[in-house]
Amino acid sequence: MADFIDGTENVTVHGIFNWIRLLIIFSVITVIGNYIGYKHPIGEAFIGMGILSLITLAGVWLERELPFNISSILYISIIGIVIALPGMPTSKFVLYYVSKIELLSIVTVFLAYVGIGMGKSWDEFKALGWKAVIITILVIASTYYGSAIVAHIILVLTGVPAA
Amino acid sequence: MGEIVILKKGLQSGNVEHPYREKTDKRILKKNPWRDYRLHGTVLLLVIVAEIIGPIEIPIAKGVEVIIMPLLYTMVLGLVFYLDKNIQWIQRRQSRIAEGAMMLFIGVLIAKLAVSSGQSIHLIFEMGPALLLQELGHLATIFIALPVALLLGFKRESIGMTSSIGREPEVAVIVDKYGFNSPESRGIFALFIVGTIIGTVFISFLASLSVSIIPLHPFAFAMASGVGSASMNAASLGPTLAAFPNLETSIEAFAGFSNLLSFSIGIYIVIFIAVPLTEKLYAYLEPKIGREAIVKEDGDDNNG
Repeated sequence: MADFIDGTENVTVHGIFNWIRLLIIFSVITVIGNYIGYKHPIGEAFIGMGILSLITLAGVWLERELPFNISSILYISIIGIVIALPGMPTSKFVLYYVSKIELLSIVTVFLAYVGIGMGKSWDEFKALGWKAVIITILVIASTYYGSAIVAHIILVLTGVPAA
Repeated sequence: MGEIVILKKGLQSGNVEHPYREKTDKRILKKNPWRDYRLHGTVLLLVIVAEIIGPIEIPIAKGVEVIIMPLLYTMVLGLVFYLDKNIQWIQRRQSRIAEGAMMLFIGVLIAKLAVSSGQSIHLIFEMGPALLLQELGHLATIFIALPVALLLGFKRESIGMTSSIGREPEVAVIVDKYGFNSPESRGIFALFIVGTIIGTVFISFLASLSVSIIPLHPFAFAMASGVGSASMNAASLGPTLAAFPNLETSIEAFAGFSNLLSFSIGIYIVIFIAVPLTEKLYAYLEPKIGREAIVKEDGDDNNG
């Protein structure tokens, strides 16, 4: 299959610039969608995307530079949580600008790439048949409800008001 | 086959833990992905159209409605653009770049959730037990999906198919444990592919219906959305945010915490609890309700 590329190079400056350029493109598209959907000012939203992109960049870079076997998602989560903690000097600035970006604006752009990216799997999907579809639906639904129901029971037991 | 081939390549080179990373690096380092203006231009177009249309609420019964969010339009249209033979500028190359880029863009999504989590850090002290224990709720899939898989005639494939949600980290766990050409691995590959295509749309509808008809705690829905897949998480959060607009920051915070847990302890739950439990239940149920095998044992399925 001529489909995969052999490449063993490590992260280079070239790679980091590729990430930065991609994140800028992603930010521009998100800010435009965010403006159309939610009317947040473009300048402030762009700063918000800049902050989120820097966190992402730091996370993917740390994943590749540090010797631990830890996913970038964890680094990104931890950096994001720490800089937004109440009392951190960064938190006011970060919260103000990041709040100008709606989560759903990011998701809408993200899923457009997901949609185009999943196209390649279409033929394999068609070959799998209805039984695999039924099982997948059951797996997703029971994972979702399993955790929703456990969470609900514990929340009620520990007396968390339904807001 | 491309999807699995890349995954395979990563897995066979001994880099079992990082199928994600290999994929992103190869795509992003080898090609100049920002230059593909056809891809990014198409995404921009889809996003503008989706945001202009906005969410659509479809009443399906009295007091019950399904909300269709712009995030679903962009995803479905993206797939349609790829599949439509008349659209020449979105081809396999664009699809591959989109997939590599997406692995990076997950980070932005996670960063946004993490900022909400940091802002609402007090929630983790108040609701830590619920957050931790709901991760165990994921095991429900074994008790529901495994018996059905056996009744449909799956054999050992069902162990891969029903022990977890079956995204990249879980695929790596199963392949590592059972080997690449094992029936268990075939099972989780099938789950991975079907989940890739229908998972996001399905969970978005499921969440939309559930928040409108099932009276669970809003925070329970928020925690449940962290199923261990970024796009499924995002798609199930959409309707939850729309249903409880005044709880936006808390819901995002819970989803952020729940993701953090899924990606840290979640994988150990799969390794140490989910897979052994699936094995046990399989050994118990298979002689009782197993059917004629529907998948031939051929064991020599080497060429992706």
